[in-house]
Amino acid sequence: MTSYNLEEELSKYVGKSAGEPFVALDEVNLPMIRHWCEAMGDRNPIYSDPKVARSYGHPGVVAPPAMLQAWGMRGLGFEDPDKSSLRTTFDELMDLLNENGYSSVVATNCDQSYGRYLRLGDRVVAHPTIESISDLKTTGLGTGYFVTTTTQYKTPEGEQIGFMKFRILKFSPKTTFNHASNSTS
Amino acid sequence: MLVQPEFSVGDEIPALTIPITRTLIVAGAIASRDYQDVHHDAELAKAKGSKDIFMNILTTNGLVGRFVTDWAGPHVRLTEISIRLGAPNYPGDTMVLSGVVSQISQDGEQVKVDITGTNTLGNHVTGTVSFSIRK
Repeated sequence: MTSYNLEEELSKYVGKSAGEPFVALDEVNLPMIRHWCEAMGDRNPIYSDPKVARSYGHPGVVAPPAMLQAWGMRGLGFEDPDKSSLRTTFDELMDLLNENGYSSVVATNCDQSYGRYLRLGDRVVAHPTIESISDLKTTGLGTGYFVTTTTQYKTPEGEQIGFMKFRILKFSPKTTFNHASNSTS
Repeated sequence: MLVQPEFSVGDEIPALTIPITRTLIVAGAIASRDYQDVHHDAELAKAKGSKDIFMNILTTNGLVGRFVTDWAGPHVRLTEISIRLGAPNYPGDTMVLSGVVSQISQDGEQVKVDITGTNTLGNHVTGTVSFSIRK
């Protein structure tokens, strides 16, 4: 049994930075854009053809805006197998919820806005904050907490290039969740 | 001279049917750098209470963005994508994306589209996509 009040512990995370600003491991680059477009079936030529991109007023090939979050992903943590240097406040929060039986996770909401289209060579820096943690909720998936983070995406020089509000449900599964449409968020 | 506007409130985007294959789910997860096991490992997904692997939200976001620009054209610029997920996209299912123009700014340069993606379980995604038209 845990000897602390979970909700009290959770409240300590609200408003905190979710981690140090995270500098994207890769610059915005053609191969990652192409892999994304292949997966999504996106044939928009501004993501592959510099001439077409320029004809629409871009300086060259640009990245699909929806890739915003992907640039700031940590991947498998190859550069630090123990992940000790990669551990963030957000990871601590996830561990706390895992320890209390809320071991499953689904993303429920994502709101992104884009300052400008990202160009080859841009380096994205993600600045995440834990915005809110809900009360314990019962959903179609099971009981758990909605955790909302907001992330400012900037260049290393501080130019605002995007913003994201992201919500997950960290929950203890009821049974199998093949009817998540019953969930509430 | 009266110019026919490019987009009008009520315009419908032709539906896009997307087969939810295991390949799409895994390719989308990896292309978005999301290595959560529930998006590529069926056994671990089941151990976590899911009936199978399921599509990650970044792929849904990518598909929704593509759906709108495929229709609107390469000249528009996406300014916002706002989505809410419901029923998961499991392998073997089919998602049908539909959309309708819900709002246009006075100058006609900012367009908002309401989108829905349904599968056999219900609404996988609902939300809005906004774009600007470059003059």
